[in-house]
Amino acid sequence: MFKHKQLFVLVALLLVAFIVVGCGGKSAEKSGEQTAAGDAIKIGFLGDLTGDTASYGKNTLEGMKMAAEKLNAAGGVLGKKVEIVEADHRYDKAEAANIVQKFINEDKVSAIVGDPTTGITKATAPISNGAGVVQLSAGSTGPDVVEIGPYIFRNTLLDSVGGPATMDYIINDLGWKKVALITSVNNDFSVGLSKIFKDAILANGGEIVVEESVQDGDTDFSGQVSNIKAKNPDVIVFSGYYTEGGLIMKEVRKQGMQDIVMVGGDGLQSPTFWELGGQAVEGSISYCGFSPEQPTDETAKFIEEFKAKYNKDPDLFDAQGYDAVNIIAAAMEKAKSADPKVFRDALAQTKDFPGVSGVTTFRENREPIKSPVYLLQVKDQKWSLLKKVPVKMD
Amino acid sequence: MAFLDGLLPAYYESIIITVGIYIILALGLNLITGVTGQLSLGHAAYMCIGAYTSAIVSMKLGLPFIVALLCAGIVAAIFGIFIGFPVLRLTGDYLAICTLGFGEILKSILFNMPYVGGAMGMAGIPPKTTLLNTIIIALIVIIVMVRMERSRFGRSLVAIREDEIAAECMGINAFRYKLQMFAIGTFTAGLGGALWAHKIMVLQPRDFGFMKSIEILNMVVLGGLGSIPGTILGATLLTAIPEILRFSSEYRMVIYGALLVIMMIFRPHGLMGNTDFNKLAKRTFRVFNTNNNKDKKSGMEG
Repeated sequence: MFKHKQLFVLVALLLVAFIVVGCGGKSAEKSGEQTAAGDAIKIGFLGDLTGDTASYGKNTLEGMKMAAEKLNAAGGVLGKKVEIVEADHRYDKAEAANIVQKFINEDKVSAIVGDPTTGITKATAPISNGAGVVQLSAGSTGPDVVEIGPYIFRNTLLDSVGGPATMDYIINDLGWKKVALITSVNNDFSVGLSKIFKDAILANGGEIVVEESVQDGDTDFSGQVSNIKAKNPDVIVFSGYYTEGGLIMKEVRKQGMQDIVMVGGDGLQSPTFWELGGQAVEGSISYCGFSPEQPTDETAKFIEEFKAKYNKDPDLFDAQGYDAVNIIAAAMEKAKSADPKVFRDALAQTKDFPGVSGVTTFRENREPIKSPVYLLQVKDQKWSLLKKVPVKMD
Repeated sequence: MAFLDGLLPAYYESIIITVGIYIILALGLNLITGVTGQLSLGHAAYMCIGAYTSAIVSMKLGLPFIVALLCAGIVAAIFGIFIGFPVLRLTGDYLAICTLGFGEILKSILFNMPYVGGAMGMAGIPPKTTLLNTIIIALIVIIVMVRMERSRFGRSLVAIREDEIAAECMGINAFRYKLQMFAIGTFTAGLGGALWAHKIMVLQPRDFGFMKSIEILNMVVLGGLGSIPGTILGATLLTAIPEILRFSSEYRMVIYGALLVIMMIFRPHGLMGNTDFNKLAKRTFRVFNTNNNKDKKSGMEG
């Protein structure tokens, strides 16, 4: 027993020593790398590759890598190669904060692209803003993100743009004035979007006849749906995600409302929506920042190259990741510098940037105006383009 | 306050602060689950209470960090007593289920509370957590835990863990001791939560789910139930390993999981479980001495 314990102490000590050496060795290797690859421009990818939001992170990274490859093949940026530094945070805020510190202080990145979610972006943006490193989130749509500071940007179709455009369309073009609004209360995206929908419905002269709450993870919506049925609305507006959306529509059909459709945000953008909802979700409408249909020349080329490289169709996050790297690269070229303190100003002045997911202009407060809004409808168990709504500068 | 700032690269500083916070949290749970043997699956809930309380105190009331920190601990402890009063009469699985339930209830309440931002959470909490104050609080918690373990109170808790009925027979008021212990354990969870809130700067109810409780429990179990050095080691390893394994990119969490399994096979009682650290240190020291003496002797003979 005594021998055994002694052995154990030895093992424990070895383990600690191993870790210490491991840390030291890694940082030494890093600094060596830096001198060797001193002429590379590093862009950090902050995202989730193994956690709850892994599908967003993985796709964003694919798009970013493709953009970097294309830039490098064309001679790089400012004559230097673009290198994507990736790290996975498992949707953990503490780990994401550590990663941003690593990007800034160990890898010495020029810019960080990410996170696709609003929560993690809010937790990490104060760090990069404080250190004076540009952080461009390709995906966070919630409120109070760019307000964090002058180095924080985002390029995505904002809920505050897509939501009102969608409501305008269904109330004024389709004439659906009596709205049933459903919110998923434990989903921050849904809570934020519901507020936007509500304001837009009232502003367009619509009427909210009934408001119902659900929760992410619920599977039985019979109570909420019978309340909705009693008020006989023209349309069901749901601000949450595809899983609940599909199940709600199934319940709606089960209770005998055959013609009504669901209108929602880009949270419905997943094949799971019709895998769960089946025929019940046919005709459902949602807005999105990207559609492979009716592409511009630029987008068509991107889709073709993406298919050749990854053997699948690109989605919103692929396109946004691709655009994010290109927008940053363009700003660097314009400012003739990869120093975030210098090219930040050029980035802030980005105007009518022709990305594959739409045309981007940054407002003075660094909020993007991204045009157009794609309104999509489920047809034959697939999203098909309903209308492109151009967004005007205000 | 600032003499530790800038001493370390910010990346390592950030990791050490995270480790420090997890040590504080894990030591609180070690007292409840390790020393006293009351399986709690709701430690993240008390961390959550602490985090939100401190955020409210420093953001909405504008009071200094130290007040926020104390309020966080006290409010968490009050909830600990409030929940512990009925629940600590239960033992084993029942207690685990009740604490688990409390965690879920708390999350649901926060999701529906506009005052703290609902599902959107609270953002813009001032970044008051520094390396120095994390280390100071972690040291205080460690010292208090070590002193407590060796006190009459601590030994009574061990007695309750080993055999509650026998302990009662020896005149230990098991329920009272358990309640006091639970208040202290949840107080430290509140402290950890407050540090967490002022480091991450954003709070969302979904961060304090069941998995967070399990993560903390993992640290305690890996280190060795009831062992303070073990808990510290467990918290350090489980926070540091994912960072160290970062080079292995996609396989990182696979390796992490495999390491956990391997460790539990070879050390079923945890890394430092069943090991008295003091005795161990003395013995190791003695072994070294005898070896050295032997060397000297043989050297002289030669």
